[in-house]
Amino acid sequence: MNLTDSKKKLALGGAVCGIVAACLALLGNPANMAFCIACFIRDTAGAFGMHQAEVVQYARPEIIGLVLGAFIISVATKEYCATAGSSPMIRFVLGIIIMIGALVFLGCPLRMIIRMSAGDLNAWVALVGFILGIATGVLALKKGFSLGRAHVTNKENGVVLPVIVVGILILALCTSLLKASEAGPGSMHAPVIASLIGGLIFGAIAQKSRMCFAGSIRDIILMKNFDLFSVIAGLFVVMLVFNVATGRFVLGFNTPGVIAHSEHLWNLLGMYTVGFAATLAGGCPLRQLILAGQGSSDAAMTVVGMFVGSAICHNFGLAASGTAMNAETQEVVAGAVPLNGKVACIICIIVCFVIAFTNKRKEAK
Amino acid sequence: MRKKELKLVVTFHTTADAMAMEKACKEHQVPGRIIPVPRAISAGCGLSWCADLSDREAIVSMMKEAGIEEEEIHECMV
Repeated sequence: MNLTDSKKKLALGGAVCGIVAACLALLGNPANMAFCIACFIRDTAGAFGMHQAEVVQYARPEIIGLVLGAFIISVATKEYCATAGSSPMIRFVLGIIIMIGALVFLGCPLRMIIRMSAGDLNAWVALVGFILGIATGVLALKKGFSLGRAHVTNKENGVVLPVIVVGILILALCTSLLKASEAGPGSMHAPVIASLIGGLIFGAIAQKSRMCFAGSIRDIILMKNFDLFSVIAGLFVVMLVFNVATGRFVLGFNTPGVIAHSEHLWNLLGMYTVGFAATLAGGCPLRQLILAGQGSSDAAMTVVGMFVGSAICHNFGLAASGTAMNAETQEVVAGAVPLNGKVACIICIIVCFVIAFTNKRKEAK
Repeated sequence: MRKKELKLVVTFHTTADAMAMEKACKEHQVPGRIIPVPRAISAGCGLSWCADLSDREAIVSMMKEAGIEEEEIHECMV
């Protein structure tokens, strides 16, 4: 049976992913984070000591599961294809930019949807920026932007990232080499086996449904096509029901404890950066992991860029802080984007414009 | 729901080629429309050109003239 030939089936796939995220939240993942690609890559980079933010260090099995889930299902259904050669270094830079934008906002597009479903109005502000960023990327596409074509390469190339994530899993399970937070979001996680299975299921469904947060909006803007959007809608509805049913739905801006801030301009610009860069790179952070799993070395370069970007964010003080409650005074302390983060975000947007309007398609000879 | 029918679907190596195809087809008044690559054809998420089977010759000759290289030309239910 074909599970991807109608919007209803695609929405069902998204709904199953929503259930996976809800289960992981129930089993211990941070409130309102549940399943965030940017946060989880950042945590994994922290586990390797690439940055020293002690509260966000943990090798997230979800990331491992996503890559392996996409890899296994694509091999099993003969869709695995090793490709490479489409401007790898520019994609590396785009990966860094995506991560900086995401950590200025505090979340990837997947977490933005999860935050929206929990009533976090900051995420709705960010959605406006995300759509504007994608629209700017679409404008570049219409003006002839291209990173060049990828070519089929040795199949071993595409296996590198899946093998690396297996290595990370072995290190996490069998050694004490990796760091693990004792407090903060990094210390909050579902059991390893649940996270891994959740990642595998999510990765397999994302590969089959081509789930992509940037792509869904790109397709609506370019072609008024809602196929990819239906996957996201399914996920959103399930998370909304889960949040309302479990009393986690809190409508508002200043919501301590959910790792978000209310600097509207920077929520907007952070996700503008992510939307713009993701459209240029051909997919959101989740999609990059999935494409890498099904054999794209170019997407794997973007993933590597996201790892490096997360280290840059915390080593150079670019990442925003979340609104929190002071335990002693019971006062709400507003989260904020540091000056370094604001400057970096602006630089990232400028770099996106340079990439978008200098890389042009070449006519076939 | 719209009934699916057998169509000509041209896929490209890059999204930019698909965008160039849309522009060229409009200029040369070649029929068709841009659609996401059907899932049955690819696990990728690019764009493709969809037209009636009878338009194959007009499309192929226009692409040659405009310097647009296809990845593949399929016939599939859209």
